[in-house]
Amino acid sequence: MQKYPASDRQLERFNPLARIFTFDDFDTGFNGWMDLTPNFVYADYESFNSAVDLTSWAPCMLSSGGMRFAASHGSMDGAYSLKLTTHPNAAPATEPPADGSMGVAVKRLSRFGSPSLIQIETWYSYTPTQDRVGLGEEDIRAFGFYFDIQDTEHRYMPGVRYVNSLDGKLVKRWQYWKARDGVTHADWNFGVEDGWCAPGIDNLWYGKRYPDGSTDGYQWLPGGEQDLLYNESPDKINWLYLRLLVDVDKREYVELQSMDTTFDMRGIQPTLTDRYNSIDNLINPIFYVETDTDRSVNFFLDSVLYSTE
Amino acid sequence: MQTTNTSVLARRIWIDSDYATIAYEAGWANEAVFFTQTEGDHPELTVSTEISPDGINWVRRGEPRTIAAEDSITENSLTVFGNWIRLRIQGASQDQQARVLVHVCLSG
Repeated sequence: MQKYPASDRQLERFNPLARIFTFDDFDTGFNGWMDLTPNFVYADYESFNSAVDLTSWAPCMLSSGGMRFAASHGSMDGAYSLKLTTHPNAAPATEPPADGSMGVAVKRLSRFGSPSLIQIETWYSYTPTQDRVGLGEEDIRAFGFYFDIQDTEHRYMPGVRYVNSLDGKLVKRWQYWKARDGVTHADWNFGVEDGWCAPGIDNLWYGKRYPDGSTDGYQWLPGGEQDLLYNESPDKINWLYLRLLVDVDKREYVELQSMDTTFDMRGIQPTLTDRYNSIDNLINPIFYVETDTDRSVNFFLDSVLYSTE
Repeated sequence: MQTTNTSVLARRIWIDSDYATIAYEAGWANEAVFFTQTEGDHPELTVSTEISPDGINWVRRGEPRTIAAEDSITENSLTVFGNWIRLRIQGASQDQQARVLVHVCLSG
């Protein structure tokens, strides 16, 4: 990977591919990152039938890292980060996501320059709202990232999810996005026969979830145990590095880097589905966070760099 | 040029008791305008704004508005609010529910 000659000192903490496509520092605004919502195209502006309420996720916001007892945290470089948050509502980890239990932010892009590789990098942090006594680490179920991609043959979603805690028990393992072989359309959509999403689409809320933390939408990353830096109190956050590299020629993962650990993912493919209408050449990077209990949890993005090669 | 952003704080949700939107950080903005809309039948609703030092503890700020049963939209504006803001809607009950859509428009 060739290092891009940095003209902005902030780029020194990234490892972009040859073309920096977008570089978002949230000190300058939302930069096109917005709440993910379904398609309000049916009668009375309603969306498609879904067992999960996709209209209910909490809004993202520009955060100065305000805390209950600490001073404002600001961001890693500046005053503001993009904060994804959740409503204080969660279902057990083996059930479909409860209303409002997630926060999801998307940036809507398209394929340009015939890239073979695409990569997302971010500096991020996470913590629950300090609305009760205790450490709080166990109340953050997960956070993740995925690309929503469609080319001229397939729609597919390569992504990763850090499973931090399930039903109050710390897990701290990485998963990647891939539907279990053989899962039916109805099972994927929690019984909705005409569900909008095919198996392998929108793994972040579809696909059955099992007591050991595996799901029909996520597979455990081999060697993916990682004890990320949480700190010792909900009002202390540290900035962490994440990078996901995807080969869009082969439609397969290349590697995940989390802090200074790199996981080789060559040879693993996300689930390839048939094309959807009117979204050829779509490439959307998407981040999300999930709460594990009746408590808002927060995922802060200091900056995000999307590059291609 | 100023920055502006509109977020949807409550997206067509049904409420059947006192309701408050999620704690929202708006410290980057100089002004906030909340728009509250209803869909379908609803009781008279009282809509008020609150601010907070931490997103956890809240105090009333600004003049409450009312959405009469025959009306479907109101606005609440704030210009001095610190960082955390939210909207409170009172008047819905189990017998008289309301479906509400809340936007907050920020600029600064």
